[in-house]
Amino acid sequence: MDKLIQDLKERLIEILNLSDVSPDEIDENAQLVGGDLGIDSIDVLEMVVMVEKDYGVVINNKEIGEKVFSTLSALADYIHKNSPKAAS
Amino acid sequence: MSLQKKVYIAGIGLISPLGCGLQETESSLQKNSSFISPLDPSVFQTRQPPPLPVGQVRQLQETDTLPRTHNLAIQAAHQAMEGFSFAPDAVIIGTTTGGILSTEELLNAGVKDPAQYRYHGLQTVAEETAKSLQCQGAALTVSTACSSGTVAISMALKMLQSGEAEYILAGGVDSLCRLSYYGFHSLQLVDLKGSRPLDKERQGMSVAEGASLLLLTTVQTDRSLARILGCGLSCDAHHAAAPHPEGRGAAEAMQKAMENGKIRSADVDYINLHGTGTPDNDLAESRAIRSLFPEPPPLSSVKGATGHSLAASGAVEAAIATICIRENFIPANTGCHTVDPECGVNPVLQPRQSPLTTVLSNSFGFGGNNACLLIADTSHPAPPEESPPSLPLTILGKACITGAGHTEESMERFSRLEGIAGVLDGKALVRTLPARAVRRLGRFSKMALAIADAALQDSGCSEPPDSVFMGTGWGALTETFNFLDKLRESNEKFPSPIDFVGSVHNSAAGQTAIMHSATGSNITSSGGNYSFEEAVLAADTFLENRSPGAFLLAADEAHPELSRLFDPSVTAETTPADGGGGFYVSRKAVADTIALRLRFFRRAHQGSTARLAEAVAENGENNKQCTMILAGIPADEAAVGEKQLDDFMQLTGLDVPVIHYRKFTGEFTSASAVAAVMAVHLLEEGVVSASSRILVLGFGRSLTAMEFFRQ
Repeated sequence: MDKLIQDLKERLIEILNLSDVSPDEIDENAQLVGGDLGIDSIDVLEMVVMVEKDYGVVINNKEIGEKVFSTLSALADYIHKNSPKAAS
Repeated sequence: MSLQKKVYIAGIGLISPLGCGLQETESSLQKNSSFISPLDPSVFQTRQPPPLPVGQVRQLQETDTLPRTHNLAIQAAHQAMEGFSFAPDAVIIGTTTGGILSTEELLNAGVKDPAQYRYHGLQTVAEETAKSLQCQGAALTVSTACSSGTVAISMALKMLQSGEAEYILAGGVDSLCRLSYYGFHSLQLVDLKGSRPLDKERQGMSVAEGASLLLLTTVQTDRSLARILGCGLSCDAHHAAAPHPEGRGAAEAMQKAMENGKIRSADVDYINLHGTGTPDNDLAESRAIRSLFPEPPPLSSVKGATGHSLAASGAVEAAIATICIRENFIPANTGCHTVDPECGVNPVLQPRQSPLTTVLSNSFGFGGNNACLLIADTSHPAPPEESPPSLPLTILGKACITGAGHTEESMERFSRLEGIAGVLDGKALVRTLPARAVRRLGRFSKMALAIADAALQDSGCSEPPDSVFMGTGWGALTETFNFLDKLRESNEKFPSPIDFVGSVHNSAAGQTAIMHSATGSNITSSGGNYSFEEAVLAADTFLENRSPGAFLLAADEAHPELSRLFDPSVTAETTPADGGGGFYVSRKAVADTIALRLRFFRRAHQGSTARLAEAVAENGENNKQCTMILAGIPADEAAVGEKQLDDFMQLTGLDVPVIHYRKFTGEFTSASAVAAVMAVHLLEEGVVSASSRILVLGFGRSLTAMEFFRQ
């Protein structure tokens, strides 16, 4: 799980171009959208693409999306439980 | 003080999923049924079935050479001009797609021959349309996302009201393409069941295509179809892709249109909604309407029938508003079964006959670009406004970016007559901009923001301007390339929402508005090598004497793959170059400042050099003598351009130094914006006398003249 969280931090910095942030500075339990990182709805959609592409996990429901993207730990947890790799 | 002229719709060309022409469109609307259906592979094949529902044109006369958007425009243009044996004085087209559908196919096939991409540029739609009509005036292009068609008509309206022209063909066009089809889907803004505006269960829009061009004129005849009373433009300055939740900018644009048309909200008989069917748009628009209309008039969105034809939609709906006025007809809000109570408005659910004279038509787009038109019966009594005095644009601050660096470095090297061509390092480019604010932006938007920021600093003004007029030849090449590249790589499965939002031509102007809270007019023009001049024309047309001012900008980025394919002036041997320039301008005359006037803008044809010479031969502002010329001749038009320049010098008899500015700036479409900054620099530094003027001339496909002088 820790490795997944670390991976996600690095992926987030890369796809959202958070060049002024290091992985250690991201608090996985802090509010992800609308929090200190300045992440908004378009970033969330970019993360949806990344989660499907890199982890094979589809998030296409607004209600689930809101829960999953509440914090980075919640996202890691959801990927962990739903990833086809995790199941195998 | 004289009065402005009244403007009438003399002819309409209309082609949409509803059919061709006013009659077919009306009978389709009478059916209150959706014309949205799964994408037909004849437009393009999707690799990710099932195809999404779209609004597709079925009666397009395709040609082998031109892209689909161009064909749509030309077919609508000839329809609008039916019964008129002359060409319009100018053509103004709003478009966001240009030749992209063909470009997507060429890039997918790995075609490297630049000639194949010659119709990629947005401006080629207006150019080919003007050519097809033998129009010798200006061919202008507006690209403000989904409000483009409405802004194009607004621009024509203003130019006609001031007496600059007698007949202008204006409207919007867009074809379906992969970029918009997958782009809106990536933003989860597409309703898989087809668009259902205002419905409680609505899930989004349906991307569509179409064209509508209106022949507008100051000449009233018994064949006139309707009158355009006024227009209103605004910018949300809130978010790149989402509307302001309370519809702040939407309300402002509607309010301005009513003020401009001199009518009260109670006099509006019908509102044709933007009503895309996305949850956010319909809610924000409803809130805006409720804030302005205590008891809203009948209203509906036709996008449940037509789909959302993006840049074309506002012009298509201006044509539909004309049908409503002519036939006393109100179309239904097709697709809406249970009205969303949260919206709090009551759309018309069945088409009906109802006497009406005045229609408000709304168009809103990415970048928070809002535009509204007020269309009425030809006999509407609203009086025209008084003509404001024609004042030049006072330059309060200037800035540029070139291969040499920012303004200071660039002008220092130019003063030593050294080249400034090149591609400025990305870090140096954004030196003054907050990293977090620009993290999602590509090079094009960063350049625009850096130029605007520096022009504001240079002005010493504490308040930023409220309007933005931006020119660009190619727009956001990085985002466009990355979007299509990722789409292709992922077999069309993973389009990037961030790249899509950034890929629109007006992304830079929208970001500039957000950074400076500029809620006034926000127009992006795209005129190839004359993009900055088009932005000047837009500023000249829309910047009011009472406005605090505007950013007047142009920028273009060099792209390692696309610049060589798109820009015929860029070859394998050319030094890669990009940049741009701009000003903080105002209508307020400030003593001892430099001012700018656009003196000439027309397509080049036989005899037009003589007209250019005539236009600038007058001594110009305050009888100042021209003492220097900065000439812009794009490399691919060297032979034609040099001949035009020679003819011009001979005809005017001017014996003054001529600087070929592209020899300094390098080859890129917004080079004339840097030349404009050079002209101001030369006047400020006293290199030319304070009592003289500098001309910045553009040659090639169009002929343009900007005049700079001290006031």
